[in-house]
Amino acid sequence: MNLNLLDLQRALQKNGVLITFSGRFTQEIIEELGDAVQKYMETEATLNNTRDVFAVFIEQTQNVKNYANCQSESVHGEKIANSGIVAIGKDEEGYFVSSGNMLATNDVEALKEKLDSIVPLDKVGLKKLYKEQMKKTLPPGTTSAGLGFIDMARRASGPLNYSIQDIDEQVSFFTLKVQV
Amino acid sequence: MESLRIEQTKSTPAIQFDAVSNKLRIEGQSYPENAFKFYEPIFNWLDNYLAELDSEPVLEIYFHMPYINTSSSKCIMMLLEKMENAYQEGRKVAIRWYYNQEDDSALECAEEFKEDLLVPFEIIVLNDDE
Repeated sequence: MNLNLLDLQRALQKNGVLITFSGRFTQEIIEELGDAVQKYMETEATLNNTRDVFAVFIEQTQNVKNYANCQSESVHGEKIANSGIVAIGKDEEGYFVSSGNMLATNDVEALKEKLDSIVPLDKVGLKKLYKEQMKKTLPPGTTSAGLGFIDMARRASGPLNYSIQDIDEQVSFFTLKVQV
Repeated sequence: MESLRIEQTKSTPAIQFDAVSNKLRIEGQSYPENAFKFYEPIFNWLDNYLAELDSEPVLEIYFHMPYINTSSSKCIMMLLEKMENAYQEGRKVAIRWYYNQEDDSALECAEEFKEDLLVPFEIIVLNDDE
């Protein structure tokens, strides 16, 4: 069967997608795509919208890449590394940045717990949590400051919107949509 | 003490630490693959520099960072805490943080860094026409 690009393009347009990438994320791809996002946004959005979309894009894509890196030794490592997707778009509520990737079913509960502690917070609560996390001493060798989701929530116009779908017994698919 | 220079890249700022004039500049966006790895030599340099610094000269630090991702923000906070400690121990330290006019996001970021610190911390707007 031939890939029907017209159908694919219509699906992207219907969902308001302006820029998207699907596949394995590297720092180089994140930087190049990030440049494209900034240049595109600068032509039609305010500086603050541009900054927020870019910032959410960086946090999301680096999360996807870092998770793939830490899963590289696992049996699902390859599948997870190739499962990344990001989409920047505009819908009736404004600009959004969505990312998706597979994660090991074992990691689902911890992720849910983390997000559910952030979702109900208002801007004041988010700032407080951000500052608390910022002051924590991190274990040596860490690559994450544990601030990404909080920062995205602070830049968002509404609560973080996420879903987790089971794919099979071992892996699930995580989607995060941030409206700015 | 050797000066420290790191060239700017797309995702890492230019670093210029001049041990003679006691000036430190950090300029550019920061979202490296591993922020802790990128900032580690800067932490080490600053620790050595502060250990050797006499109480007399003023250490001036310039920041101009239009975008900082969260792991880099943590590293910048760690740098600022080193300055804060030096200041609390009686050293003369002055922080100047530049941001572009209309960049509310960068201004908020600077204000938040400043909030819990006692070290002199000046936030300065850069006008478009400058």
